[in-house]
Amino acid sequence: MSDKLKSLLFAAALCLVCSVLLTTASAGLQQFQERNIILDKQKNILKAVDLIEAGKRYSPKDVETLFTENIKQLWVDSDGSLIDASKRGDTDIPVYIQTSDGDIAAYILPIDSRGLWGRIKGYLAIDTDGSTVVGFTVYKHSETPGLGGEIEKVWFQKNWVGKKIVNPEGDLVSVGIAKGKVGELVPEDKRDHYVDGISGATLTGKYLTEGIKEILEDYEPVSIKFRTNTVQGPPGTQGLSRQ
Amino acid sequence: MNGTTARPWAAIRKTKSYKEIVKALWLSNPISKQILGICSALAVTVQLKNAIVMSVALTFVVAFSSMIISALRTIIPRNIRIIVEVAIIATLVIIADETLKAFLYDVSKQLSVFVGLIITNCIVLGRAEGYALSNPPFRSFMDGIANGIGYSSVLIGVAFIRELLGAGKIFGYQVVPEAFYAAGYEDMGLMLLAPGAFIVIGLFVWLEHSLLKEK
Repeated sequence: MSDKLKSLLFAAALCLVCSVLLTTASAGLQQFQERNIILDKQKNILKAVDLIEAGKRYSPKDVETLFTENIKQLWVDSDGSLIDASKRGDTDIPVYIQTSDGDIAAYILPIDSRGLWGRIKGYLAIDTDGSTVVGFTVYKHSETPGLGGEIEKVWFQKNWVGKKIVNPEGDLVSVGIAKGKVGELVPEDKRDHYVDGISGATLTGKYLTEGIKEILEDYEPVSIKFRTNTVQGPPGTQGLSRQ
Repeated sequence: MNGTTARPWAAIRKTKSYKEIVKALWLSNPISKQILGICSALAVTVQLKNAIVMSVALTFVVAFSSMIISALRTIIPRNIRIIVEVAIIATLVIIADETLKAFLYDVSKQLSVFVGLIITNCIVLGRAEGYALSNPPFRSFMDGIANGIGYSSVLIGVAFIRELLGAGKIFGYQVVPEAFYAAGYEDMGLMLLAPGAFIVIGLFVWLEHSLLKEK
């Protein structure tokens, strides 16, 4: 057998063995990985409404219980009404509702925005006044660690709490990321609509600002209902209107 | 009793395996002596937990890849041997990465690309080329373990210092008492950044070189 043929055969056999091993590992571990991903999302939704403290340990069971007790997934139709998954139309968009004693405490929008290197995924929780941000979390991104990657850090996410997505006149202005400290750069009357930026991550901030604005525009119909106190829940949750 | 059994330690010290293990752990430690694998050593040493998981993953990969490559060393065609080595290493790394994603999801998220980058870690390919290709499987496996531990010892040492000084914690538990903070003590932010790791690794290199010189 010539050397070339031998090399070729060896390479082919090696590839076969390696692919069998990798397929086995990937197929065998998939269900565990998927569970982890779901848990991680639930954890982030809970973090957005401050039901989970950063730095504290929670077992998977704790997270699941907290999630089923406090969070409900619904859909928003084009009129801004909340509907059940069963009545969901093709153009309806998902929203999570935080309930407390049967009342809506906040609604949570999934964030899927452009970033510098890839999609930024997370959650933005808004109070029932349809304006005040309750929390912001990121569970998946590919930004540069130490620069744009700071969006996953507590200090950055804490920034968002209490910001307003509408101005006093009632127009949607979204919340933007400043190019530095809000206190130094933004005039006082606009500080409610900006969070501190990350130095060295101007583009991440720019794309995330744009992404959040687009998402808030998509959810504006339901936000308006919250602002005017005319939220309609799906059957079974009719009593969800706030006090 | 003859002289050998009376002083078993001295006998062990004369064996080839002992000499090779000492070499991997100390005399030519992959990080502090050969300055290999620095990239991951900078990136994953902010917290002890991450450093330990990374150390275990690397030790696993380097030990098993050395063993497999050594077992195949007589039949690997010379002209494609680097490709074969990298394919074996890559397979093991992906298995390690998938396992972490399944059972240690939070840690795997923090380690992000660095587990995958074990493939390009010079230590692994270095041991395959420099040792496994010319030694039997068991010795290669032990060589991999020893080099993995050599890497781990520096990684864990650096992570200990960085987590303690940078965050006042060990394994995520607060060890610097609140009273210190109240008295004006502050965590050293530099330690959380890559330059902090550079400085600490540099100190380790310095320490090892000066200790070796004294001998």
